[in-house]
Amino acid sequence: MDTLLLLALNGLIWGLIIALIALGLSVIFGLLDIINIAHGDFFMVGTILAWFALEITGSFWVGFIIVPLLCFALGALIQRVVIQPIRGVAALSIVATFGLSLILQEVVRMTFGATPRRMLSPIPGTVPLFGIQYDVYRVFAAVVSLAALGAFFAFLQHTKIGTWMRAVRHDRDTAIAMGIPAQRVYRYTFAIGFALAGFAGVVAAPITNVDFRGGVDLLPVCFMAVIIGGLGNLPGTAAAAILLAVMEGVIESFATPTVARITSLVLMSAVLLLKPQGLFKGHTR
Amino acid sequence: MTRRLVVERRLFFVFAAFMLSVPWLIPALASVFWVNVITELLIWSLLAASANLLFGYVGLLSFGQALFFGFGMYGVGIGITQFGLSFWPAFGLGVVSAMAMALVCGIFAVRLTWHYFAIITLVFSLIFYFLALTMKPLTGGDDGINFTLPPTFSFGGTQWSFTSTNFQYFFILATVAACFYLMHLVVRSALGKAFLAIRDNDARASLIGLNVYVLRLVAFVMAGFLAGVAGALFAFFGRYASATYMFYQTSGEAVVWAVVGGVGTLLGPVVGTSLLILLREIVSTHWEHYSLIVGALAIIVVIVAPRGLMGLWRDWFDRSRAREQGETQAVPHTEPRTEP
Repeated sequence: MDTLLLLALNGLIWGLIIALIALGLSVIFGLLDIINIAHGDFFMVGTILAWFALEITGSFWVGFIIVPLLCFALGALIQRVVIQPIRGVAALSIVATFGLSLILQEVVRMTFGATPRRMLSPIPGTVPLFGIQYDVYRVFAAVVSLAALGAFFAFLQHTKIGTWMRAVRHDRDTAIAMGIPAQRVYRYTFAIGFALAGFAGVVAAPITNVDFRGGVDLLPVCFMAVIIGGLGNLPGTAAAAILLAVMEGVIESFATPTVARITSLVLMSAVLLLKPQGLFKGHTR
Repeated sequence: MTRRLVVERRLFFVFAAFMLSVPWLIPALASVFWVNVITELLIWSLLAASANLLFGYVGLLSFGQALFFGFGMYGVGIGITQFGLSFWPAFGLGVVSAMAMALVCGIFAVRLTWHYFAIITLVFSLIFYFLALTMKPLTGGDDGINFTLPPTFSFGGTQWSFTSTNFQYFFILATVAACFYLMHLVVRSALGKAFLAIRDNDARASLIGLNVYVLRLVAFVMAGFLAGVAGALFAFFGRYASATYMFYQTSGEAVVWAVVGGVGTLLGPVVGTSLLILLREIVSTHWEHYSLIVGALAIIVVIVAPRGLMGLWRDWFDRSRAREQGETQAVPHTEPRTEP
């Protein structure tokens, strides 16, 4: 019972982190029509930058603040250089972001090295939670991830740029006719997607391996969350990410992680075939 | 006869002479290392061709071709190690199991299109990738299964087998060429035209009486055949079968090679695969971080040549024709196809 609870809680926290990554993937996909193969690597870049920030400054919290900002800037740069010239042609976006993924992984391998490393937890210790001893840092990770999710939705609903983003997503031509600077919205959207993934990387860095291939396994899960949640349905995406990770955690308590992964994949194909619009009702693109 | 036709005809003869002579001369011109590189390149271009058949001709973007590649590999590997099959039955087992798997997956997958199709093929291939990882006694998991190669032909005392680099090269060249010829026949047939009709507008295709579902399934199984042949050849080539090649990155590479070369053209996948693999081999002998170059090249190609290298070639040809005819205005530029 204790293992079940522990793994379900771990799954919940991973689910929140994956939700952050998948939301970025979903807005980039919804607004720019970019199938972003490099999105897992954006997460990986976040974990690596967190590791470097800790190495250089000696404090995890410096990276916690700086890394999302760095990722935002990097995202804006990449959008300008790589994404803007291909103008949302989906087939080309796969190739371009595949190339981007190769470049990001190789740069990290050159600078960080190919050996996976572990980071020490910045908040050591455990707290009693539902009768088990649970890492304080994981609780903290859950809280900040939730806060970031909330902040992102608030940003979409209540700020000018967020409103622009929703407008361009809803009807690009009308939005441009109404004077919304679509090009700038694309730049912001891509940068925000990168920043979300990078932030997820910083939060996850102390509870996972810091590795140049860290994004590879994560990418399919994020795509699945986007599809299961319903294309363009952002709350659905977040819910699907959490559901997937918790389910895998629960199955892991009585089977190997691989069997858990297979089970969730089989369920996923059932959802895709029976309800291709996604599990959750709501506004879609 | 206009000059353009003369040029076109000359170019065709040069190309045909190149295709007919150079591949056969390679073992005489190149070292064993490069013969092996080109052998591998031929196999991968067949996998890229299978992605191209689906995406370029039917408009279905598959992220799961590695699954059928893997079944081709394991059909050969398991056939030889578990059932003690000789070369041809093992080859047949690989190809047939890949096609059977494509049929089973296709029945479900081709009900969906576009993003959903891409994701469901990805999900199917991941399911079997993880299954192959767990079924260690049968598949060898991550390490894969190694086997000793049975001879391809034996007449009494004389044997031909893949232990000879040149025989291996010629056998794979002939098989890949035969597959491309088959694909050429299909694309030019009524079936191929039906595929194109579905790619361009599936609603219209169904209104003129085409059974879109069955045609998509046929294309999917054909693509499974191509990927299965590629996988079986790769198993013979490497003398092993491994789950690592069933991961989604292999499928993604196949799509990238096809798009870089030019989707919807017969030889685009060969061009794209050749460029990226030759570049990788040339740079990797000098510089460890060759991935940077390959990644940058993939990005540059899609920015400069959105319809792939074959598209670039055709654009150049169209422009030279326009000059020929003395047209003052530019050739209307055809936009790259966005969504099928």
